Amino acid sequence: MIELSGITKSFNSGEPNQFTAVDNVSLVVHPQRITVLKGPSGSGKTSLLTMIGCMARPTSGRIFLRGVAAAVPFQQEGMDSVEITSLPERFLNDIRRSTFGFIFQQFNLVKGISVLENVMLPAYPTGERRPDFRARALGLLEQFSISRHAGQRIELLSGGELQRVAIARALINNPAIIIADEPTAHLDSKLSQEFMAIVGRLKGEGKSVLIASHDPIVFDSPLIDRVVEMRDGAVVNSGSSR
Amino acid sequence: MILQPAVLALLLIALLVAGMGLYAGYYGMRILARWDPESGSELQLELERRTYLVSTIMSYILSFELMSLFLFIYTADDLHPLFTGAMCAAGTLAVNSFGYPVLLLKIVNFLLAGVWLVVNYADNRGYDYPLIKVKYELLNVLVVLLVQECVLLFAYFSGVKPDIITSCCGSLFSHEAGSFSGDLASLPHLPMQIAFFTGMAVTAVSGVIFYVRRRAGYLFSIAAAVTFLISAASVVSFICLYFYELPTHHCPFCLLQKEYGHIGYVMYATLFSGAVAGIGTGVLMPFRTVGSLIRIIPEIQRRLTIVTLVCYLLFSAIVVWKMFFSALKLG
Amino acid sequence: MNNSMERHLNILEFTLASLLRRKAKNLSLLAMYLLVVFMLASLLFFVTALKREAAIILNDAPDMIVQRLMAGRQDLVPVDYVAGIAQIKGVTAVRPRLWGYYYDALNGANFTIMAGDDSAAGSGKTAIGSGVAKTRNLMVGDLLPLIGYDKSPVMLEIGTIFPSASDLIAADLIVISPDDFHHLFNFPAGQATDLAVTVRNPKELATVAAKIVSRFPDSRPILKSEIQRTYQSIFDWRGGMMLLVLASSLLSFIIFAWDKATGLSAEERKEIGILKSIGWETSDVLLLKFWEGIVISLTAFLLGTVLAYGHVFFLSAPLFAQALKGWSVLYPHFRLVPVVDVYQLAVLFFLTVVPYTTATIIPCWRAATIDPDAAMRY
Repeated sequence: MIELSGITKSFNSGEPNQFTAVDNVSLVVHPQRITVLKGPSGSGKTSLLTMIGCMARPTSGRIFLRGVAAAVPFQQEGMDSVEITSLPERFLNDIRRSTFGFIFQQFNLVKGISVLENVMLPAYPTGERRPDFRARALGLLEQFSISRHAGQRIELLSGGELQRVAIARALINNPAIIIADEPTAHLDSKLSQEFMAIVGRLKGEGKSVLIASHDPIVFDSPLIDRVVEMRDGAVVNSGSSR
Repeated sequence: MILQPAVLALLLIALLVAGMGLYAGYYGMRILARWDPESGSELQLELERRTYLVSTIMSYILSFELMSLFLFIYTADDLHPLFTGAMCAAGTLAVNSFGYPVLLLKIVNFLLAGVWLVVNYADNRGYDYPLIKVKYELLNVLVVLLVQECVLLFAYFSGVKPDIITSCCGSLFSHEAGSFSGDLASLPHLPMQIAFFTGMAVTAVSGVIFYVRRRAGYLFSIAAAVTFLISAASVVSFICLYFYELPTHHCPFCLLQKEYGHIGYVMYATLFSGAVAGIGTGVLMPFRTVGSLIRIIPEIQRRLTIVTLVCYLLFSAIVVWKMFFSALKLG
Repeated sequence: MNNSMERHLNILEFTLASLLRRKAKNLSLLAMYLLVVFMLASLLFFVTALKREAAIILNDAPDMIVQRLMAGRQDLVPVDYVAGIAQIKGVTAVRPRLWGYYYDALNGANFTIMAGDDSAAGSGKTAIGSGVAKTRNLMVGDLLPLIGYDKSPVMLEIGTIFPSASDLIAADLIVISPDDFHHLFNFPAGQATDLAVTVRNPKELATVAAKIVSRFPDSRPILKSEIQRTYQSIFDWRGGMMLLVLASSLLSFIIFAWDKATGLSAEERKEIGILKSIGWETSDVLLLKFWEGIVISLTAFLLGTVLAYGHVFFLSAPLFAQALKGWSVLYPHFRLVPVVDVYQLAVLFFLTVVPYTTATIIPCWRAATIDPDAAMRY
């Protein structure tokens, strides 16, 4: 479970061009559900996702992660929640690597290296043995039926295949929570629906999924447990679970 | 001034190290002044990023200091034919009054940089930057010493003038050749041997006690530091005699030469690493009760203790081996 | 510990792959790097080899040379001094030497001309260095024509040509008999250029020299150790000067490296952004950059030194020879005996790899601290 309390993110604070991307957001995200952050671009969805995903730190406010204690090396016994906003980058990163998997709008795959390597990339700095995560990567490629492309460079793949590579990469470190930022923005309707099917499967496997999107295919999908609406950095409708 | 490639290299390194030190020191001061871990402000994020830069710079400074320490000694040795009466590096360093201070500073700076990295390692494992103040105060001390080292090095090399033939006066015996090797403190053998083995024994025993019982940490650290000093003096006083098999040659540098199988590198490497680990253990002692480090520091200290024990043991083993098998027997 | 090993290996592997992916950029950097290492290595190897060469030659030199000063200038030494010096305790032998320079108008070269024992060259005969033989295109048995002080020709038959192997000093040497020497230069009888003194115990050299000065106040004894010292510092000095000249190229290389490291291409920046967004930490990217530097440095360093080795010891350093060897226009060809030791390599490392590494620290850190959420913002 992720609990946000009074999260604010502002840029250029103290200067005339100060700009508040997220303004005093409090929210609870439940585990093993699919939650969608809905809202027009510039509404602060992405900023909120980066803070939940331990990529950026809020200017003020607190974020608690509960039930992910195993991933935190310095945890003291008896504690099951971590307050992540005051942690130094290297600790945030440890949590992020083991807890979150990311799917980006632009897929963000590295050009010039193979599909397999792209999938394995997040595992490199974890210090895991290469044969171990390689086997896992091959398994994921198999699962998404792209193993025949494993050795190819990603430039040669179609949009749908790229999408599946990106999902496989998000899953390589076996995270509990998947974060997707506008995942369907560059996909046609058929591929978008295919994506939603995959997301449903992930939920079935016990993963929590958090999606920022303004695509009706996403937020109208029957798979969605909850839609949170955002506008101008604030939550306007925290939509109870369906 | 001697315009020799190795000398230029040493001066260049000293400049680079001092420059990097000043740069790191500047951000260290900023971090000391503006640090606020509670804040998520852009300034704090920027400072946190700078800590990565400072750590990186310090690791490079440590390795450059270590390498240039040996290069310095080697260069001093290479230059000795230029000076009347200089038989090896010891003589070259004694050419003016800056030689030995530079050497001493190089050693001190290496040890300090090592200790800094130990503290940094521990700090990076705490989730609330527990040692940030200590770390950057230590950094400031180190920066001053690094700059001083650079200045002294320039003073040393600019004051070094080779005794060469000049057109006005061909011969050099105008200034009588003195023996420099005698200048080095040649302390009496027997008390030094007793001190050396006592120091090693105290370090070993307190180290084992600290490792097993987690007590007497300060004792161990001080013992390791003192033993380092005693060992350094012992090298000059008696250890090197067994290697040279000459009762009069007290030079600590010739051990590095090929004639003695470069054994000096092994000996000094073990001695220095042991000292860094031992002193580092002591520096961490006051922080073992800091909340975020309560489990981390003891673990690091145990590892450091092992390093010191193994290094010192190796050093002692080399000494004892040589004492038994050397052709020279000291009374 | 094992974990961190795996981390290093994984990241190193990725480093190698990305270096290969950006061949064009990295090759230009490597080429510059290689050139700088090559130049500096050639210089160091060359100077060290020359120093050693000179040391070998000086080993055969007499322990002490006695010159005479007249009005502050070197003058001829009366042969009578020989007996006086020979009497000093500890002196085993005193030998008057006759030598000088011969300017060869034909080539504009200066030869060193020396009177030797009859064994080397009897009257009317000569032994010459390989350099002389080559410039004059002479062989054993040919006649060597020299011009006397009064412009009269002196013809000498060549008895021997010194072997060319590793010979700095003998290359320009002409050895003739003392009679021919006196005749050629109208050298006054009963005088010598200087005296070579041999002393039984090298430790007494200074005492003997002092005694010579007190007995012959106008004499100037020079010890072999002083000559060695002077040679060494001259070579060191020349090497240092050349190095300063090359410093500008070193500096421009550093600026180039800085520029390369700072000017990350948009694609590279994006790639680091992606790495950070998918869970790489700042220190992981720093490690990536560290390995990148190591790989480039080691490649340039190894290739550069190997090329320099070939340049100096197989090709006789055509790029530096004139600047560093030249006392005269002679020494056309001679091959240096290869000497390379760890010390030189260490110096070279300090002059190239260390400045390069230092120059890249800050740009690498800049690259490594790209925001992890940069990949999500556009």
